[in-house]
Amino acid sequence: MSAFTGITVDREALIANYVTVSERVSPAGVIAVVKANAYGHGAVHAARAFVDAGAEWLGVADVDEGIALRRAGIDEGVRILAWLHAPDEDFRRAAQYGITPAVSSVSQLAAAADSEVPEVHVCVDTGLSRNGAVESEWAELFATAGRIARSGGRTRVEGLMSHLSNASRADDLDQDAALQRARDGLAANGIVPEIVHLAASAASIALPETRHDAARVGLALYGLSPLPDRSAADLGLRPAMRVTAAVLRTVPVAAGEGVSYGYTWRAETDTRLAVIGLGYADGFDRGLGDRVSVRIGDRRFPVVGRVAMNAMHVDIGDADVSVGDEAVLWGDPADGDPAVEEWATAIDTINYEVVARIGRSVERRTT
Amino acid sequence: MNAPLRRARIDLDAYRSNLDLVRGWMEPVEVMAIMKADAYGHGLEPIALAAVDAGVRWIGVLTVPAALRLRSIGIGEDVHLFTWQHDPALDFRDAIDSAIDLGVSNAAELQRIVDAVDQRPARVHLGVDSGLHRDGATVDAWPELVSLAVDAQRAGRIEVVAAYTHLAESSDDDDSAAVAAFDRAVEVAEDLGLDLPMEHVAASLAGLERKEFRKDMVRMGANLFGMPGADGVSAADLGLEPVMTLTASVAKTKRVPVDTGVSYDYTYRTAAETTLALVPVGYADGVPRAAQGRIEVTIGGKRYPIAGRVAMDQFLVDVGDDEVRVGDTVVLFGTGEHGEMTVLEWGAALGTIGEEVTCRIGARVPREVVGHEVGGRVGDYLREQP
Repeated sequence: MSAFTGITVDREALIANYVTVSERVSPAGVIAVVKANAYGHGAVHAARAFVDAGAEWLGVADVDEGIALRRAGIDEGVRILAWLHAPDEDFRRAAQYGITPAVSSVSQLAAAADSEVPEVHVCVDTGLSRNGAVESEWAELFATAGRIARSGGRTRVEGLMSHLSNASRADDLDQDAALQRARDGLAANGIVPEIVHLAASAASIALPETRHDAARVGLALYGLSPLPDRSAADLGLRPAMRVTAAVLRTVPVAAGEGVSYGYTWRAETDTRLAVIGLGYADGFDRGLGDRVSVRIGDRRFPVVGRVAMNAMHVDIGDADVSVGDEAVLWGDPADGDPAVEEWATAIDTINYEVVARIGRSVERRTT
Repeated sequence: MNAPLRRARIDLDAYRSNLDLVRGWMEPVEVMAIMKADAYGHGLEPIALAAVDAGVRWIGVLTVPAALRLRSIGIGEDVHLFTWQHDPALDFRDAIDSAIDLGVSNAAELQRIVDAVDQRPARVHLGVDSGLHRDGATVDAWPELVSLAVDAQRAGRIEVVAAYTHLAESSDDDDSAAVAAFDRAVEVAEDLGLDLPMEHVAASLAGLERKEFRKDMVRMGANLFGMPGADGVSAADLGLEPVMTLTASVAKTKRVPVDTGVSYDYTYRTAAETTLALVPVGYADGVPRAAQGRIEVTIGGKRYPIAGRVAMDQFLVDVGDDEVRVGDTVVLFGTGEHGEMTVLEWGAALGTIGEEVTCRIGARVPREVVGHEVGGRVGDYLREQP
């Protein structure tokens, strides 16, 4: 029996993480973020797991991602929020598919109202300088919202959102104060949003006062820690993604021989290599060689040489490894698998990027 | 919509032009067009159909499932589809029935192929590991593989099409040693009674620079996508055209005061009152988080550096007092003709190669194929897609 090459996503872990996160942030609710193909985990599968765990809200970046979920059968009893819009987005498709837009400008708000989207969230920039209306635009935006509310049209402002920079506790609290000013500004125009949301995974854990009515949680739901000094296990989370590959071939190499493109690694002693069929096209950086290790059986073996487009080499020495054996790139450290954070640290990035960049070509299966 | 959030434009005219140029250089040697990894992220089917329309008769796609995808869209058996990385659990029957060319690395793998043969013989390329240590048989294991091939061919179970190897492109000397090892392996095979109709060893880089390595066929991938591999050589230097152009639309602009922190951790602060433009492409789409400080994009032909961390779905650029509006086109990389960076420049700036950049442009970025209006099968194929 040969091992599976690809990603296995553990549905039970997704459900358990949703429950853990919900309990942690309660009485605030959870908006389960499934953008970017659920951070590489497969959006439809993840969305279904979270809905089955009790999620009432899903968050995506753009309307297209939301439509894909609707077409896959996520029914309109589950709300979907999208906050990143194409320049000429007219929100008619959002209305048609029951996607709730978060609007960042007067023109977006007007377009949403024209399309008779039932609810919108207003997105304000409280410091991240990314999405959201900047404070100098608030007066006009909130006044427009007030006029729309009084006009008796179909569209109402249901929510108010912003996004934290995680720069420091003080910076984040400054942003929270700015969000309160936005809330006051809306109130002055007769609007009291039912759902105010600011915190994402990191702040939902580290800065409870920013939870407000809901936390938009992505990473933690996939069982990964958003905080550099806390592990997933510390937070009661279970990594849901396991990446495995079948050993395609084992090959002896003599001391001094180079391996893979450019011979960037040479064997110090006579040894054996295992080739596995995942490479940089699949999302595993070309520069990962000599920096990470995989698990085969109960042992760790280093990845050596340049990672190729669709293959990488593992130095297995004289270990009992044969074709078809399973190499685990990462999974749940509680099961003895390497942690995804090892791969992130090796290329000086964060776990978010490592999972989100897994390629579309990689087979995904679910349990 | 006229201004999509993100788009990778795939220029088939550029691909065809590169193909013409490269085939001219290699003449009279055959060119195998390499399209592994979904045609290096460009999208397999349109590239393959364009190549076939242009007369290509050898395509390399790495895996049997990818080759079967091409057969399923009507690429017939007059086009040889070479595959060389096989899952240990793969059942070879469909591949053999569809006349897929199978690279084989060892006797055990060849035995699995032989066992899967029913009516027609399997088309086999015998791989030599000449130093890359990725696929192919080592020198020690080669005679066993050849002997099995001789027997299977005599029994009518397989047709040996070629011997091949991959070069490590470490140094000229190392590659020369590798080709010498390959040549010795071919002699061993002949001594064992095996006739090898073809030999192929060189890929894009060695195919250009080492004429003596061309043998009967050169496997060309990166060059055809306008990404030559030699240090310091641009596509334009060789007359090649980059095939992929990555663009986005400005999704938001905002005027912010001096000393405004930008994106996560405020790793960028504005030096003056300025305008920030939001570009809706992030690391989930293949723009690395490490791109801050290394990559510049163009808007209206003018270069702007990435300001602050690249996030999962977006990044910002500081456009100063320039007139940049929502909906304006942002070019991330392209041909370089309008001041934008090329994908090779991205590779250099990020400490990697162009192939890694294009392969990793994500699923959320639609591939918009242009240059199919000339007729032929690409246009028909694209019209049939939902």
